[in-house]
Amino acid sequence: MEQLNVTVGAVTRDLPTVRVGSTGRVPLVEFIGDPEFTNAVAAEMVALIPNGTEMLLSVVTNALPLVHELSDRSGIPYVVVRKKRRTYMQDPLIVDVPSMTMGVAETLWLDGPHAARLKGKRVTIVQDVIASGGTAQALARLTERAGGTVNGFLAAFKQGETTLPLHFLRELPKTI
Amino acid sequence: MKTHHVQVGTVSRELPIVEVAPGVSVALFNMLGDTEVTEAAGKALAALIPADVDILVTPEVKALSLAHVISRESGKPYIVIRKTQKPYMVDPVVREVVSITTGKPQTLVLDGFDVDKIRGHKVAIVDDVVSSGGTLHSISQIIQEVGGEVAAVIAVFTEGQERPEVTALGHLPLFT
Repeated sequence: MEQLNVTVGAVTRDLPTVRVGSTGRVPLVEFIGDPEFTNAVAAEMVALIPNGTEMLLSVVTNALPLVHELSDRSGIPYVVVRKKRRTYMQDPLIVDVPSMTMGVAETLWLDGPHAARLKGKRVTIVQDVIASGGTAQALARLTERAGGTVNGFLAAFKQGETTLPLHFLRELPKTI
Repeated sequence: MKTHHVQVGTVSRELPIVEVAPGVSVALFNMLGDTEVTEAAGKALAALIPADVDILVTPEVKALSLAHVISRESGKPYIVIRKTQKPYMVDPVVREVVSITTGKPQTLVLDGFDVDKIRGHKVAIVDDVVSSGGTLHSISQIIQEVGGEVAAVIAVFTEGQERPEVTALGHLPLFT
């Protein structure tokens, strides 16, 4: 089977792939459970955070360790959007994402107190992988509804075509 | 709003006190989006992990960045038990565990890829707050079922009753 590997800093990983329909195998990037790779990517990505960023906004789950490292290294705080309603949420902001990848729509939930942290701030959207950009645009809509302004889009990996003005570390093929 | 003061290493926070059931309120502790607390707790807890522990296991989502930091600091690998099955998982172990608190079934999914990292190894369970012990019970069950031994339970806070089996940095009362 064709392998795809990625090297960031001193760390190289063979990416696992998953078969999607008849189009081929899609390479996957996993940060969960891999502090070494997470740290190597964060170390290079921190330089790509757009100037003037006051807050990072990301979404569960795979990007969590990465956005934590970016925040710790840059000193810029972050907020996380959930994909499920949690019982403790107060006045959450809700937005739907028409997902291109799996063909299933998702709903994003931003807890009210977290939304308040975005108000009046220049916010950079951070994801592990940006493909179509649908989720990134939904995060941008949440930012604006929370009273923040979108300062830029940042991803570790760009996978496919997106019209977003994207800062990214590496490009991945959509399928191999 | 009433708050409860907590200290995590050199970092202090005022946790909002919210009612979760008629007459019962809790101090809401959410590390997601709190880089300082995650770093402080992760570093303190990494020093408390028994030397013979081979691997850390954490339930998604809230303690994920904590597990990342403990892993980074201790050099011990971590894996995440998911609540839904993912298309890329290889031979996942899926268990419906009845929550001892709510009585409702809860799905826990362990990627088959991770089973060998647990089987025959000493495991430390990592979570943010151990309250009723429901999640802890479920996670312990799945670890034992695949042949692992739960050697330690590590949390930032215990809540409600005292739990001598849990290594924690502090205790949260219930407010009635």
